[in-house]
Amino acid sequence: MKIYKTMLINLVSLLILIPGMAGAYDGNWKRGDVYYRMVCTDCHKNQPVGKVPPDSRTQAEWAAYLEADQHANGQDTVSKYVSKSFRASIADENKAAAKFANVPEEELFADIKAILLRGASDGDAPAGCR
Amino acid sequence: MVLDMAHAIAGGTADHKKFEVLKQDFKSGPEVTRACLSCHTEAARQVMKTQHWTLESLNPNTGQTVGKKTLINNFCIGIAGNQADCTSCHVGYGFKDRNFDFTAEENVDCLACHDTTGAYRKPAGLAGHAVYEEMEFPPGSGKIVRAVDLNKVAQNVGKTSRYTCGACHFYGGHGNASKHGDLDSSLEVADSSIDVHMDVLGLDFTCSTCHLTAGHKVHGSRYQMTVERQGPFLRGMPLDRNPVSCESCHGNSPHSAQTMKNIEPLKGFTAVSMAAIVNRHNEKLACQTCHIPAMARGGNATKTLWDWSTAGRMDADGKPYVEKDDKGHSTYESKKGSFIHEENVIPEYVWFNGKVEYTHLGDIVEKDDDYVPINRFIGSPDDGKSRIWPVKVMRGVQPYDPVNKTLVIPNTSNDPGDKDSFSNNFNWEKAIASGMADAGADFSGKVDFIKTRMIWPITHMVAAREDTLACKECHSSNGDLSAGRMKSVTGLKKRLRFKYQP
Repeated sequence: MKIYKTMLINLVSLLILIPGMAGAYDGNWKRGDVYYRMVCTDCHKNQPVGKVPPDSRTQAEWAAYLEADQHANGQDTVSKYVSKSFRASIADENKAAAKFANVPEEELFADIKAILLRGASDGDAPAGCR
Repeated sequence: MVLDMAHAIAGGTADHKKFEVLKQDFKSGPEVTRACLSCHTEAARQVMKTQHWTLESLNPNTGQTVGKKTLINNFCIGIAGNQADCTSCHVGYGFKDRNFDFTAEENVDCLACHDTTGAYRKPAGLAGHAVYEEMEFPPGSGKIVRAVDLNKVAQNVGKTSRYTCGACHFYGGHGNASKHGDLDSSLEVADSSIDVHMDVLGLDFTCSTCHLTAGHKVHGSRYQMTVERQGPFLRGMPLDRNPVSCESCHGNSPHSAQTMKNIEPLKGFTAVSMAAIVNRHNEKLACQTCHIPAMARGGNATKTLWDWSTAGRMDADGKPYVEKDDKGHSTYESKKGSFIHEENVIPEYVWFNGKVEYTHLGDIVEKDDDYVPINRFIGSPDDGKSRIWPVKVMRGVQPYDPVNKTLVIPNTSNDPGDKDSFSNNFNWEKAIASGMADAGADFSGKVDFIKTRMIWPITHMVAAREDTLACKECHSSNGDLSAGRMKSVTGLKKRLRFKYQP
């Protein structure tokens, strides 16, 4: 009984800690760069809209865009395209999606945000076509 | 927090966020360096012995002084008079003129190579400094650049990366991909079609995986090329030879029946005999010749011509202007002249024995109707050392002193306050007089232009096996080598034994 009680306390502690840990994650811009170029751009370059360079918007504009989470003028969401299910759906033809198959969605979203803010027109390293 | 810990464990044994000396409100780069040196006591002295710091060195194989401090090329020409712009890629702070103190340890810039945040940048014009206070940059542009958070950068230092190396080496010669042809920002996130070694989903090499570093000395400079086959570089070997070659990892006979198994053999050959034939090619061909089928393959065009002689034109309002092609590359700039940019460029091929005769300021250069070679690659089919290398040939039209018969360095500083700069006065005589005075070199006062050609080795952007050159790229069906890629290479004999018969 004492063992179960200890386990329960540990579990509750973990559940309390996890959100705090997730909140501390501010994005891996290098991983975001790989996903943005190899998944986002790989698709965008074949679509009517073409490539979307990070420096086409300011940091504030990217932050607002990601906060709104609306892709293709609201037809769907940005988070859809970083979801595990989306990655799984293109994994056969996209090696980057396959490589990052198990990355938590919140992390990958933060990674994308990090590279876009870095590469924004007023970011630390404004970046053209990716 | 958990991830930060993971990064610290994966990347090294120290979490720099925990160092009290780095928890300062740093106001400048040198302040950060002093903090770094309080633990890494020998680092600055090590860096000061390297070309990244001195910008010049003695090539022991040729006896020539080499490096950016004294050499001339046909891109931006030279650094004299232009230090504040050029030294944004110096691993130091404050190199704004020839009086820079090369002995001051706090002037060594640790962050240029060891930043991991991606936030540390050194804009041209600041003599190697980062932006410490919010400023308009370029001056007069209306664009505001925020100050870098030195505290954050200092607490997140780590190993070099393709981003830190690439911040300079991808952008040399006036822009991304401009100079080398085989180095550009596509290597930041390369796939196997761009570079099989740096493929982020495959081997994922960083620059330093090949460019082994010891005591801050980075091996594999183009100023000390190694072309002879030295065999594999094994662990434990002393670093008294260049470990940055294909053979260092792959050995002198890398092709085997196994590696050739997916390649359709020529008529009458097996995978074993094909491997033997290809290995024999190594005696006369650099590995790069077959394994780098084209340069500028990552979607970024490289400059192949820079014509300074057209600079100085003004628009209808009498103001300098810029013209761009449909991909956004400059084709004309009043301050710089005319350009040609190209993607997927097939290299030219030359015999090369590792020696380069660099052109220094003051060397006599005879003008010719054709392009005059500068910084010449040396080699021949008969010297027993040379192999055929792929190269980028950069063609230029650059200012010239017709009296002294020397190349000249103009002041082309982008500082709007520099009245001696061609970028402000559009006067070649004044700009060259300024640059040559800074270099301490003679200038007659007369200005002409000379057509030059300079060779750059192609050795990055190694393609995946399936994209390697096929036999027919060089060998025609009758064994003739004069029609394919080797058509301009001298000293090749018709080798009927190896005629191409698919």
